[in-house]
Amino acid sequence: MKNSKKWVEKRLKFGWIAIILGVIVSTYGVVSELIIFGVPFDFRFITGLGILLIGVGIGIVVRYRAAAKDETAAKRITNEEQDERTAMIRAKAGNRAYWVSTVLIYTGLMWVSFISNGSLPPMNEDILWYYFAFATVLPFAVYLYNIIHDERSS
Amino acid sequence: MKNNLEALRSKHGLTQQELADRVEVSRQTIISLEGGRYNPSILLAYRLARLFQITIEEIFIYSPEENENEKQ
Repeated sequence: MKNSKKWVEKRLKFGWIAIILGVIVSTYGVVSELIIFGVPFDFRFITGLGILLIGVGIGIVVRYRAAAKDETAAKRITNEEQDERTAMIRAKAGNRAYWVSTVLIYTGLMWVSFISNGSLPPMNEDILWYYFAFATVLPFAVYLYNIIHDERSS
Repeated sequence: MKNNLEALRSKHGLTQQELADRVEVSRQTIISLEGGRYNPSILLAYRLARLFQITIEEIFIYSPEENENEKQ
């Protein structure tokens, strides 16, 4: 038998840690923005990261707080999270996303290599940025699509 | 793989959620199993068999032809 309550409490702890870290990071970002001048760096980036952490933490706390108080709910949520079918679907989706990611990274590497040896003309930084953004978003989209598809079909 | 899970569950008066709770999986997994869209792990098959106090073969019906069709 799984110790569901302990598992849920552990997740809840992660949530609180994310919130506390988020508050520290975003506070540091805001304070730095107010007192540090003349640095070629935008501190709003740090503030944004902190806000993201707070958001993730709140999401985790909201999901697990009720379950931490109720043994049946804790057991149910643990069963859902550790469900073998869900794990299989996630693994399959992850594998497909990994291959998409590998192809994109390899293509990018070849592209940059050909530029450096003069086989291709120099690349605009904007194009490189868009390519990296595409290479980041596409595997994630493939992962989500496969999860939704397999959840419906299996 | 075909199975008698739905009939066995009804015979024991269990809902899909109750069965899911007993064998520690999600309700969606029970729905997929009953629909024959998902083949369980050996551990889950044993848990189901132990719960209903029968053998795995009495729940799941293996047919090689169906398996061959899946491969094609």
